[in-house]
Amino acid sequence: MTPLEYLAAALVVGGTFFGFVATVGLLRLPGLYARLHAASKSDTLGSVLAVAGVAVVLGVSTESLKLGFLLVFLLLTSPTAAHAIARSGKEQNVEPAGDVDAPWIDEEEGDA
Amino acid sequence: MGDNHERDVLVPVGRSETLRRTVTYAVERAHEAAVEAGGSATVHFVYPARWRSFETERANVDAAESLLERTLLWGEEDIDELLGEDTPATVAFESTVVGTNEYVFSPSDFADVIGRYADANGVGRIVVDPSFRPGGSAPLLRSFETELADRGFDVLEAPVTRETRRSLPLTDIGLAEFSVVFASSLLFYFALGGWHVTDPYELVTGVATAGVVTLTLAGVAMKNGVPAVREVGYTLLRFGAYVPILLWEIAKANVALAYVVLHPRLPIDPRVVEFDAAVWGDMPVTTLANSITLTPGTLTIDVSRQQFVVHALIPDAEDDLMEGTLERLVRFVFYGRESSRIPSPLERRDDDGGEA
Repeated sequence: MTPLEYLAAALVVGGTFFGFVATVGLLRLPGLYARLHAASKSDTLGSVLAVAGVAVVLGVSTESLKLGFLLVFLLLTSPTAAHAIARSGKEQNVEPAGDVDAPWIDEEEGDA
Repeated sequence: MGDNHERDVLVPVGRSETLRRTVTYAVERAHEAAVEAGGSATVHFVYPARWRSFETERANVDAAESLLERTLLWGEEDIDELLGEDTPATVAFESTVVGTNEYVFSPSDFADVIGRYADANGVGRIVVDPSFRPGGSAPLLRSFETELADRGFDVLEAPVTRETRRSLPLTDIGLAEFSVVFASSLLFYFALGGWHVTDPYELVTGVATAGVVTLTLAGVAMKNGVPAVREVGYTLLRFGAYVPILLWEIAKANVALAYVVLHPRLPIDPRVVEFDAAVWGDMPVTTLANSITLTPGTLTIDVSRQQFVVHALIPDAEDDLMEGTLERLVRFVFYGRESSRIPSPLERRDDDGGEA
């Protein structure tokens, strides 16, 4: 194996690890918002590392340029998607798990 | 809202080619209403601000003030022309800037800000300049006029002929905006296709795709006109410097999260933090919101104009947030080094005498 292949392997293994963390987090963390942390952060890094690993294997080519675009879009869209889910949770008055003051819950009580 | 409700007229003011004639139209309407009711009417010139009250850049503020002054002069001119110099005027004028403390983004945000001023001053009629499109326009977005009409205002579109010189036939898009968006879409298409620029199939599909993208989205993408090349260049350079820092933060975030998630006792301390961010404008707010989500233990739940609602999972996360490192970096990217001097959210909250 060449050093580049080692790097690619390390990236893919790292990606898999964070994908694993995302899954465990999604299962273990309490409540919508806490779970989103796992779904947005670990999941992003997991995919980013895996895609980067593939790009390293492919070297300089159209394919790796496309993967580069893919990385940018992953970094842009997954926090945006998490934001959309969290926001709709807030709009639906979903309470965060644990001993947490959620400002929107209090407001809604005042209105109702 | 008083008996002025029927008579008073509000004119949202922004840089546009047809503003002069819009003012004349508004003055005529107000005059008619005043004569009919046998009293006087007021024309409110309202400038919806795109900047924040503590912005360091004065050029925008000065431009707004001088534009408002000009509309006042134009109004006086028009009423003199209608009545002659000596007759006591039936129409009074007021001018103001609204929305300086908010992040106004979409046509509906602008309609909110204008509508609130109108309600506060008991104005029921709004004369809009068809060339002034605050918040941009796109087939997907409801227009500024529709948004205002929905809020119960009587919306009159000033009958001005649009400048054909500025926008391409059948669209709201100017030639410069069209070219920029079209060229970048086409380049992106070719980049994805592997630069087969000479292949007629790629060429035709590329032009068609870029055309559709441009026609539907240029009104939003370039809603403030085409930015100066130098400005974009500097922003891109600073953004290039920001990316490695962000990637490092993302890496740290994930290690911290992995620790928490894999720890047998799950040592989390979730809480919700609200703070006002000192960033303004579409791109900076989006960048900050997304960066917050990607960095240690924090997740942006909601952004309404200037206020961020953030969910923090790890105890240190809230402190990091209040130190405002990310915020300062985002400001640096979009506004240059000068703007990084604005105090951190924590210091700002202390200044307000809040609980910190």
